[in-house]
Amino acid sequence: MCGIAGLYAYLDVAPPVDRAELARMNARMAPRGPDGSGDWFSADGRVGFTHRRLAIIDLSERGAQPMHSADGSLTITFNGEIYNYKELKAGLEAKGHRFRSESDTEVLLQLYADRGPSMVEALRGMFAFGLWDSRTRQLLLARDPLGIKPLYYADDGWTFRFASQAKALLAGGAVSRDPDPAGIVGFHLLGSVPEPFTVWRGIRSVPSGATVIVDAAGPNAPQVYYSVAQSLGRRTGNGMKAEAARQQMSAAVHDSVRHHLVADVPVAVFLSAGLDSGALLGTMAELGVRDTLAVTLSFAEFRGDRHDEAPIAAEVAQRYGARHVVRTVDRAEFERDLPAILDAMDLPTIDGINTWFVAKAAREAGIKVALSGLGADECFGGYPSFKDVPRSVHLLRPFRFIPGLGGLVRRLMSSTIASGARLHPKSAGVLQYGGDWAGAYLLRRSVYMPWELDHLLDPALVEEGLRRLAPLSHIANELQAGRPLGDFDRVAALETSLYMRNQLLRDADWAGMANSIEIRVPYVDPFFLAALPPGDVLAQIKAKEAVADVPLPPLPDVSRNRAKTGFVTPVGRWMREASGANEEVSFSNASRAWALRVWRAGWTGSAAA
Amino acid sequence: MAVRMLALVSDCYGIGGGIARYNQDLFEGLAASGADIVVLPRHGNLAGVALPRGIRQEPAIFSRLRYPLAALWLAWRKGPFDVVFCGHAYMAPIAWAVARLSRARYWLQTHGAEIWKTRPVLLRHAIEAADLVTTVSRGTRHSLLGWVDLPPDRVRVLPDTVQDKFVPGPVPEGLRERMALGAGPILLTVGRLSAGERYKGHEEVFAALPELRKRFPTLVHLVAGSGDDRAHMERRARELAGPDVVRFLGFVPEEELLDLYRLADLYVMPSTEEGFGIVYLEAAGCGLRVVGGIGGGSADAVPNEKVGVLVDPSDEAALIAAIVDQLGRGRVDPAAVEPYRRNHFTEAARRLLVRLVARGR
Repeated sequence: MCGIAGLYAYLDVAPPVDRAELARMNARMAPRGPDGSGDWFSADGRVGFTHRRLAIIDLSERGAQPMHSADGSLTITFNGEIYNYKELKAGLEAKGHRFRSESDTEVLLQLYADRGPSMVEALRGMFAFGLWDSRTRQLLLARDPLGIKPLYYADDGWTFRFASQAKALLAGGAVSRDPDPAGIVGFHLLGSVPEPFTVWRGIRSVPSGATVIVDAAGPNAPQVYYSVAQSLGRRTGNGMKAEAARQQMSAAVHDSVRHHLVADVPVAVFLSAGLDSGALLGTMAELGVRDTLAVTLSFAEFRGDRHDEAPIAAEVAQRYGARHVVRTVDRAEFERDLPAILDAMDLPTIDGINTWFVAKAAREAGIKVALSGLGADECFGGYPSFKDVPRSVHLLRPFRFIPGLGGLVRRLMSSTIASGARLHPKSAGVLQYGGDWAGAYLLRRSVYMPWELDHLLDPALVEEGLRRLAPLSHIANELQAGRPLGDFDRVAALETSLYMRNQLLRDADWAGMANSIEIRVPYVDPFFLAALPPGDVLAQIKAKEAVADVPLPPLPDVSRNRAKTGFVTPVGRWMREASGANEEVSFSNASRAWALRVWRAGWTGSAAA
Repeated sequence: MAVRMLALVSDCYGIGGGIARYNQDLFEGLAASGADIVVLPRHGNLAGVALPRGIRQEPAIFSRLRYPLAALWLAWRKGPFDVVFCGHAYMAPIAWAVARLSRARYWLQTHGAEIWKTRPVLLRHAIEAADLVTTVSRGTRHSLLGWVDLPPDRVRVLPDTVQDKFVPGPVPEGLRERMALGAGPILLTVGRLSAGERYKGHEEVFAALPELRKRFPTLVHLVAGSGDDRAHMERRARELAGPDVVRFLGFVPEEELLDLYRLADLYVMPSTEEGFGIVYLEAAGCGLRVVGGIGGGSADAVPNEKVGVLVDPSDEAALIAAIVDQLGRGRVDPAAVEPYRRNHFTEAARRLLVRLVARGR
């Protein structure tokens, strides 16, 4: 897990790549890779790669990057981990390839030599890399299927630039900071910036599950090689018996955890009082991992009361023989860290604070790698949206056929709310948006709704942003499965492709990497998702609760009971108070105020980032 | 099989100007790669013009009403075409319609100011429909992507190319004496003198001349080019620089222009709105260092110190410092202009056509 960046002066008139620019990009990513730093420039000066290393696999210098193929024709700068690299290596060796290191990076080089760009389809892991093929003079950028590892690029028409962080591209000094209305509007709507947009017009994200090939004519359109909706739609086994489904689910979790343990350093776990992280720890123990370090976040405000997760986590840790570290955070520390948090935050987001502190705790405990339960709610149906969104669509769909009704009701209700009715402002849009999947999802997940944005941002920017982003189409695109999906899988596809990808995974990256911690996510793995029973079956067996029985022995009853009562953190209150909102309101309202606080920290224009 | 292209352009063969020159360079490059091109221009008289192999040009049609009909007729009568090329953003709606009706890919070429600012909705839609948009500079690409919603990978930069004749060479014997230029140094500016193009920065240079003459008492400024603003410029030159410092040469034919480039010591044109600024590279191709202006697409024609420098013309001290500095740096290394030569341009254009044709319709 590392930081990568590169430059390619692809047009003949472009000057050779600027080494000082690449050095500035590297420096901006220093926390991503404290174990080493390397640069490479092609002999003709047209291509340059840089790399910050957090050594996890093959800790020797043979694993250093940028790495070259034996004949020197291929060069790679790679961020991430390939969990099936040993299987891939064995297959390549059987075909006559010879390896010089034990690293997964070399497997990527040889796999590319063997299969070309389609090699990405064979990779199980989290990855983002740039690979230069000097024979074809093509740069291949690739990003993992679900978007765990970030990869941003900027193209000015002469020179192509890429980096693990958007802010690293800006730090180079050659990329415009002009705002992108689509990304800005997207952030205010959803609380995170929807890819491929960023808040800077000149910077885009390589889409998750896509490659970009850059040749002498510049970047080609991204080629998508993985779609969440299509993958979920291919799962078979409707009508499967409950017991068989539970066994299949358990086998899938075991397989994924086993793959995610590949490392030459100890692998820890972020342990909450919830079932998902407990199931990971239990499965690790069952797979024979001993003396695992488990890190739990505790809040000073909750010490000794029912919201404190530490006692339950301690019981789970004890059951599976883990060493338990509880790290207590208070509001003073939050306020002390806030400038560093905003600096590390690569794109504006309303979340990531918890991850910042648990990663910080892990670093203090001497950890480099930790498993996280992130993604379980998306695949097992843990969010209220799995009930709310289908119910809304089925109930309100008929009203969609009455032209203008939804808009009229929304305007009337907005006026009522504005004059003091104690309703959430978003509720005005229930009839207008709630009757179709994209609208109902937007309503469920939005921070602000489109009609509210003119009060927050320049109306011209809002108009332009809504036009470019087209939020409802953007959401609906994630449901294109090529075949009908059931209700559960529809919501799973939306949550996985939008909320998890743009919010949770991006936050895990910046908050983790700023603390030099690699966060691994066994529930975010296309091989794992494909091995699960179909969504309707997962819904029937109550997968969210059934995960407690995945490890042997299963999780203690105290965890199951706690899961039903839900989780609370004081972060919402800190955020609300830090953002200057006065009224005592829900977490949703705190998010609205916090979103504005984050945005007003300054992102675009000459003084930003 | 050769790629067949219908080119809807304002100017091409049989007329002068930068856009005509660009289109000729482009079509000749593509035709040399095997493309078969039919050109329908708005202007131009083909009398006495021999067209290169692979290029046919229809008689020009200026009428706004007849032109779209002729384009459609041509697409039907001489089709099928693989690509409809549009040589100016204002003609984009026509090209879009012709491309869609004839199921061809649609390539839009833009040059500069016409797309620097937001334009009407129809034009925006017509631009957004393009399968490929080429701009001559990075600045123009940046401006365009600021108001149209196009995937950035679809907007490519294809810079102007420098004609092969713009190379260093000997100055004709006695030219300096015939022109009575004295010891110099000689500053040169080439460009149309149009009231609508005062952004070229002539007056800012005139204003800097008195200070420059303190350092270089025999310095002269040659201004080549004609236009409706000549009288105004001559008056301003006298007011700002005094008599006989600025010499107005009027229109100078291209062959004589080469001599001027080879004779002069510095090319000075701090223009803020060049779409690209090919003139900078023509001067540099002849070995002349350049002081250009910040703004527009000039940064692409003067990309680094090997060619020259860009300054803000409103900053007189900076302009003077840049001129003094550049005068002390000698001639331009021909290698600095090499990437703008025709072979590179032709190869870049060919790559774009290959990529465009590889797109599904």
